[in-house]
Amino acid sequence: MEDKKDIMQIIADANKSVTTGIDSADIEHWVWIHIMGRAYQVPAGLTIMQAMEYAGYKFITSAGCRAGFCGACATMYRKEGEYKLQTAMACQTRVEDGMFLVQIPFAPAQEATYDITKEPYAASTLLEHYPEIARCVACNTCTKACPQDLEVMDYIQDALRGDYKKVAERSFDCIQCGLCAVRCPAEITQFNVGMLARRMYGRYGMTEPEYAKARLTELDQGKYDKEFKKLLAADVEELKKRYAAREREAD
Amino acid sequence: MKIPYYPGCSLKTSAKNLEVSALAAAEKLGIEMVEMPRWNCCGTVFSLTSDDLMHHVASVRNLVRVQEMSENGSVDTTNKMVTLCSMCFNTMKSAAKRVRENAEDLVKINSFMDTEPDYNGNVQVLHLLEIIRDMGFDKVSAKVTRPLEGLKIAPYYGCMLIRPKEIGIDDPEDPTIGAQLFKALGAEIVDNPFKKVCCGAYHTVHNKDTVIELAHDILTHAQEEGGEAISTSCPLCAFNLDNRQKEIKEKYLKFKEMPVFYFSQLMTLAFGLGEDACMFEANYVDPRPLLKSKNLL
Amino acid sequence: MAELKFIGGYPEYMRELIEKVNSTRAQRKDYTPPAMTPQQREEVLQVHPDFAPGGKRAISIGVNKGDIGPNEVIDLLEAYPLVTPKEIDISNVDYEVDLLIIGGGLAGTAAALWANNEGVATEKILLVNKLRHGDSNSIMAQGGTQAADRANDSPAIHFIDAMGGGHYTNKPDVLKGLVEDAPYIIHWLKEMGTIFDKEPNGDYVERWGGGTCRKRMHACADYTGLEELRVIIDEFRTRGIPVLEHNPVIELLTDGSKVTGVVLWNLETHQYKIVRAKATILATGGFGRLHIRGFPTTNHYGATYDGPVIAYRAGAKLLDTDTVQYHPTGAAYPQQIIGLLLTEKLRSMGAQPVNVDGEAFVFPLEPRDVEASAFIRECYVHDKGIVTPTGMRGVWLDTPMIELKNGPGSTAKAFPGMIRMYKRFDIDMIKDPVLVFPTLHYQNGGVETDPWGCTNLEGLWVAGEVSGGVHGKNRLMGNSTLDCLVYGRRSGMSAAKYLKNGAKFGKLSLDHVDRYVKMLKDAGIKPERKAPIILPEYRGKAVLARMIDL
Repeated sequence: MEDKKDIMQIIADANKSVTTGIDSADIEHWVWIHIMGRAYQVPAGLTIMQAMEYAGYKFITSAGCRAGFCGACATMYRKEGEYKLQTAMACQTRVEDGMFLVQIPFAPAQEATYDITKEPYAASTLLEHYPEIARCVACNTCTKACPQDLEVMDYIQDALRGDYKKVAERSFDCIQCGLCAVRCPAEITQFNVGMLARRMYGRYGMTEPEYAKARLTELDQGKYDKEFKKLLAADVEELKKRYAAREREAD
Repeated sequence: MKIPYYPGCSLKTSAKNLEVSALAAAEKLGIEMVEMPRWNCCGTVFSLTSDDLMHHVASVRNLVRVQEMSENGSVDTTNKMVTLCSMCFNTMKSAAKRVRENAEDLVKINSFMDTEPDYNGNVQVLHLLEIIRDMGFDKVSAKVTRPLEGLKIAPYYGCMLIRPKEIGIDDPEDPTIGAQLFKALGAEIVDNPFKKVCCGAYHTVHNKDTVIELAHDILTHAQEEGGEAISTSCPLCAFNLDNRQKEIKEKYLKFKEMPVFYFSQLMTLAFGLGEDACMFEANYVDPRPLLKSKNLL
Repeated sequence: MAELKFIGGYPEYMRELIEKVNSTRAQRKDYTPPAMTPQQREEVLQVHPDFAPGGKRAISIGVNKGDIGPNEVIDLLEAYPLVTPKEIDISNVDYEVDLLIIGGGLAGTAAALWANNEGVATEKILLVNKLRHGDSNSIMAQGGTQAADRANDSPAIHFIDAMGGGHYTNKPDVLKGLVEDAPYIIHWLKEMGTIFDKEPNGDYVERWGGGTCRKRMHACADYTGLEELRVIIDEFRTRGIPVLEHNPVIELLTDGSKVTGVVLWNLETHQYKIVRAKATILATGGFGRLHIRGFPTTNHYGATYDGPVIAYRAGAKLLDTDTVQYHPTGAAYPQQIIGLLLTEKLRSMGAQPVNVDGEAFVFPLEPRDVEASAFIRECYVHDKGIVTPTGMRGVWLDTPMIELKNGPGSTAKAFPGMIRMYKRFDIDMIKDPVLVFPTLHYQNGGVETDPWGCTNLEGLWVAGEVSGGVHGKNRLMGNSTLDCLVYGRRSGMSAAKYLKNGAKFGKLSLDHVDRYVKMLKDAGIKPERKAPIILPEYRGKAVLARMIDL
C-alpha cells in the first residue's frame, strides 16, 4: 500500500500531459502539421487543440469546453494531396501528418427575433423567420460539414415542410459551431433554424405531465411549508436520523 | 403495385387533402405508394427557370433515393416513382430528362454528390394520373360505389401537368385525362375553354392582382359553361383558384364561390372511402353543401 | 517503447483485460455490491484528495483568514492584482448599466432573463463573458436536473437527500429555495421550449442520481446542459439583451464597501474598460482548471476561480472553500480525453464499476466523494486498477451492461454524446467497457449566498457554481444545473427588486484593492503570483522557456 500523500503525487504525475502541457521528453512519435500555413512538428496522437498548444498557441478564442459540447473550436483542414475540405472540433480530433489547419472562431449568422410565446405552431413559422431555407438546393454540403455527423440538409428539408418533430430529432445534438452555415452555398444559418424549430417543438409539440403540473399547484398552496419549517429547525442529529430512515424507491 | 412515392413539401403542409385522398384512392386501385424514407424539396421554380446545373441536384438526389428503394426491395417496381403535385412532377421529370440526355451533366452531378451512390439515369418520374390511365379507366369504374351522378365538373389542367410536350402527361393542346377519369367516376363533364390557362402561379406572392384576374377568368368561364366545381392536381393552382376566391369576391361583387377539388378527392368520394379520406374540411370553399345538394354526402 | 497495436481503440494488453470484464458480466447482471455503511464511508474517504495530507493550507489574510482550502485556491487568494490601481483610469466610464451580470452560463443567462421579466429594461442590462456567451461548465452538464415532481417524491425528500449528500453542511434556507423551486424551473424550461426526455406515455423520463432515494433526474439525452443553455441563450438573444464576449472581469469596483462596477479586460485588444453598475451578479462558475492536486478536470477552459478571487478582495465572504468535488467517472483513457466527464447517468442506467479482475467492487451510486474514493482505493490501495499506456491507473466502467439491463438501443438513445466522443477515438462503448478515474469536477463552496443570491456586500449577488452554501461540502448529481437556474432566477429577481427600490450608482474606486495589497505585503507574501489567472497554461515547458512578452 502506498502512502496517501504519495498516491496523490503518482496521480498528479500520470496526469501531467493534460494539466501542465506536454513534455517533449515523453514523446516518441511525431507528425508535421500546418497551422494557418506554418509548419510545426508536434507529438503524434494529440488532439488538434493540444497540438496547437504544444506548438505555442494560447487560445483566447476557438476554445471553450474542450470536451466536444460547446462548438467553440470549429476547425477546417485539408490534408496534403487531398482536395476534400474537412471539418472538425479541434478538441475532439487527433492531428494527422500533413494537416493544413485553420480555426473558425465565429460564424456570422442571421438570427431572427421572435417571441416564442406568440409564434403560431404552424408550418409557415420557420419559413417566415428564415425565408432563405427555401433557397436550399439539397447540395448536402452542410451535412458533410457537420462535425457531429448530423443530417443537416435533411433537417432543413424538414423545416421547409414544417415538420418540427423531425427537425428536433435530427438537429438535437447540434453544438452550434456554425460550420454548416459557413459552408452553405444558399447562405442558410442551419443551426439557428434548428434552434427555433426545437424550441417550437419543445413548447408546443410536447406535453407537460399532469403530475408535474399538480406539484406546482401544491407548492403554490404551500403544501410543504409545515414540513420545511420542521426541517429548517432540525439539528444535525435529527437530519441524520431522517437521512438514515429514507426508503429507496424500487429500481 | 408497390412504388416509391415522393410527396413534396406542399402535401405535408397546405395540401394534406391531396395527399390523404390520393393515398386512399390509390390503395383502392391496388397501388401502394411507399413514401421515400428521406426526400428533399424538388427545387421547384429554381430548377425550372434556370439552366444552372446546381439547381438540379435536389431532384437528382431524390432520384438516387428511388434507385436505392428499387435496389433494396422496399418496392416492387424498378426505377419508377410517383408524384402527386404537378409542380414536383414537372420539376423532377425535367431533371431526370436532362441528366438522361446529357451524359456530361450526369457525370458532373454524380461527382458533385460524391457521398451518394451514382445515379444511373434510369428513373422514370410518373404522375399518379398517368398510372391510373395506363391501368385503364374501366378499373376505376369498377371501384365506384357512389357514382358522382349529376355533379358537373370542369376539369382544370393548368401548366405543369401538360407542358412542355415532352414532359406533360397528355395532349398539351387538348388534354382529356381529367375528363376521362371523372367520367369513369360517373360525373358530368363540362369543358372549360380556360382549362389550360395559367393560374398565375408564384405571382400569388408579390403580384396578387394578376392571380386574382386569371383565377377569376378561369372560374367564371367554367361557371358560364355550366360547371359547378373545378378540379386540379396542383397545390399551387388549388391555392390560386380556391383560397384566392376571397379576394376575387372582394373585387367582383357578383362573383359566386365555387368549390375546387383535387382529382383524388372526387375519387375517394366515388369510391365511398368516407369523409376522412376526402378531407373536404381542408378546402377553402367548402364543397360539402354542393355535394349534399346532389345527395353525394 | 515500440508502437502499440490497437484493436477497437485499445492496445492489445488492455484488450486482454477487457476479456475478464466480459467473462463476469452475466453473473454481475444480478449482483450489485451493497451500499456502504456510514462507518465504511468514513473509512474510504481517507484516500479522497480532500483528506489525503499535503494538499491544503489556511488562508492568511482577509475575511476568511484562517479557513482551510486547497493550496491551488489559497495561492490565488493570496495573489497580487493583475494591474495596480494607479495604472487604471476609472474616471472614464465605458458602460453604465443598472444590472451587470458576469458570466454567461445557465446562472448568468437565467439571471438576465428574470431581471428582465421583473422589469429591468433590456438595454439596462449588460452580460459580460470571459469567452463566448455560453462557454461554461453548464453547457457540459450531461446527466440532468433534479426536480421532485412525481407523486411519490417531494421537495422535502429532495432536501433530505441533498442534506445527507452534503454531510449536513448545506445552508438549510438556501437548500430549501433550491428544492422548492425545482419543479417550477422544469416547467419554465419546458415553456421556453426545452426538450426533456419523455416516456411513451408522456411522463418525463426520471432516473436515479447518486445519493438520492427517488428517481427525479430530468434529462435531455446526455446533452442536458447544452439543451437547457442553448434554449435560454436563444431567448436572451431574441430579447436583444446586450452582451460583451471575450471580456473577462479582472477587478470589481467599490465605493469602499458597496460593489459599484467592474474593470473589464478585452482578451484580444488587451484594453481595459470600465463598467458602472447599480447591481452586479457574479456567475463566473468554478475552478476545475486549477487542476487541484494535479487532477485532470471535466471543466471548461475558463474555469479558473476568477470570481471568488476578485470578490474576496472586495470583502466578500467565502464558504466551504475546503472541499472539492471529484467526479468518480472521468475518462482515464485515451490520453486525448483524460478527465472528461462520463455522466453519472451511465451508472444510473446500470453501468458498473469493475476492477482489473472483472469484479464489481463498489455500490455504483454512492455520493460522489465516496464513490471517487472507492475508485482511488481500488487502484492504489488494493492495487486492482488497470494501468494505461501513459501510466495512469483506472477502473473499468462496464458500459455494455446498459444494453443488457435496458435492452438493445438504450445506450444510443440515452448517451449520443458519449458514444460520439468514444467513437472519435475508435472505441465502441456499447460493446466494450471504458476506463475511468476520478476527475476534478466541481467547486462545492464559493462566495457565501443567502436564499436570494445576496452576499455580505451590498450591490453584489452570486449564482451558480461560484456561490457557496447550497450544496454544503458535497453536491449531488443534478443539483448543479438546478442551482444555476434557481439561483440565477432568484438573484435576477432580487437584483431587480433592489433596483426598483431606488438603488443608485455609487462612487467607483479600487481602494479595496489597495487595502488588499497592503494586507498581502503585511503578511509577507511576495508579489510573484498574480490573479485572476483568466486562462490556464498548457503550452508546455519548451514554449514557455523561449517566450518573451514584448
